[in-house]
Amino acid sequence: MMDLFSSFDPSSGIMALPLNWLSTLLGMLFLPYILWAMPSRWSFVWASLLDTLHKEFKILLGKGKATGTLMFVSLFSIIVFNNLLDLLPHIFTSTSHLTMNLSLALPLWISFMLFGWVNNTKHMLAHLVPLGTPGPLMPFMVLIEVTSNLIRPGTLAVRLTANMIAGHLLLTILSNAMVSMSGIIILSTLLISQILLLLLELAVAIIQSYVFSVLSTLYASEVD
Amino acid sequence: MLSRLALRSLQEAKPVLLGIRSTSSTAVNKSSERDEVNFPHPVRPIEPGKVRMGFIPEEWFKFFYPKTGVTGPYMFGIGLTTYLCSKEILVMEHEFYTGITILIMVVFAVKKFGKGVAAYLDKEIDEIEGVWVNYRKSSIDSIKKAIEEEKKSQWEAQGQSILFDAKRENIAIQLETAYRERLANVQSEVKKRLDYQLEMANVKTRIEQKHMVDWIVNSVRTAITPAQEAAALKQCFADLKALAPKDA
Repeated sequence: MMDLFSSFDPSSGIMALPLNWLSTLLGMLFLPYILWAMPSRWSFVWASLLDTLHKEFKILLGKGKATGTLMFVSLFSIIVFNNLLDLLPHIFTSTSHLTMNLSLALPLWISFMLFGWVNNTKHMLAHLVPLGTPGPLMPFMVLIEVTSNLIRPGTLAVRLTANMIAGHLLLTILSNAMVSMSGIIILSTLLISQILLLLLELAVAIIQSYVFSVLSTLYASEVD
Repeated sequence: MLSRLALRSLQEAKPVLLGIRSTSSTAVNKSSERDEVNFPHPVRPIEPGKVRMGFIPEEWFKFFYPKTGVTGPYMFGIGLTTYLCSKEILVMEHEFYTGITILIMVVFAVKKFGKGVAAYLDKEIDEIEGVWVNYRKSSIDSIKKAIEEEKKSQWEAQGQSILFDAKRENIAIQLETAYRERLANVQSEVKKRLDYQLEMANVKTRIEQKHMVDWIVNSVRTAITPAQEAAALKQCFADLKALAPKDA
């Protein structure tokens, strides 16, 4: 049965091996060749983008002993390529599946929490009560903070999944309408499609929110 | 890029690329183990590869020319598209129209912002290249200047020998002056001695003369007898009387 969500569950593979997940690595084809000391146009753009990101994350991670921004920048790269390539026709979006996003978010969060709780237990416990809460409110604040901490991986993953699915779904609906339309109204639907696509390109901004949220988690829980 | 490598013959491409970057291979340490004929170093192209209709490489068109002429690749493209559409391999469903919309957007964006973005990026890359080129050029310039200064200091060092000659001459002049001064000294001293001797002789002669005169006078005086003295006196009285005025 072909319904609206069929584009999200293709199964193209050998026997039972789902090869459609290989689209995750499709972004690697877009990485620039850096064969010479002089950059080409695309390698310059990519290098300056990553440079900006490294600087931003370094600031966020603070003046710790070891500020490793590589993981977050590579996280950003894989998500940005997957989200942008989703817009092109017939390409499977791996980041629109909760499986993929949870497998990105959960290990990160669990490792941060384990490290923080095992090594700086007092520090972590102290952070459960924000500064300046009135006395009687403290037990509830602890509960709230514990809850917010616990659902962090869920929010990270679900945020990305929901954004991707929603955007792609809208596009699908619009283009389905365009299939069965005839006349000048096609022009207006084309226009709306264009605007929506531009909006979807703001999926790139969602990557920023993803990585920033991961970073703020790390920053808040460990260094400070 | 891989398709270009597959379809392009290196003979026709090499002169174009090597001509542009002929200076880059002169300063590189070449390893002797690499087979340069079968595995040449990739040369950095200056211009992006020629494309037709924005994204199809020229080499794909040229591939058809010997067999089919200039309409070949277009017929191939139209035929292939028709085949895919008719056999429902390329299904015109919602994704297809999304693709058409994206194509329109991309064409619009490239036509509107393409030149500006490319110019900006080229400027940035030229800045980076300028840093490297400037470093090399300024190193060469400073080393050339150092060579010039070295030559100048060598010339100055040669000029030192003239200075030595002048100094030698100066000292010779000083020595000559001192010698002449001492010569004059010697002359004056010798003259003084001789003058002294002369004076001595003069003085001796004078004293002798005086002594002789005195002796003659004294002897004459003692030789005068009293009779002569009285006769002289009488004569004097007589002369005086004769000379006295007559009225006295």
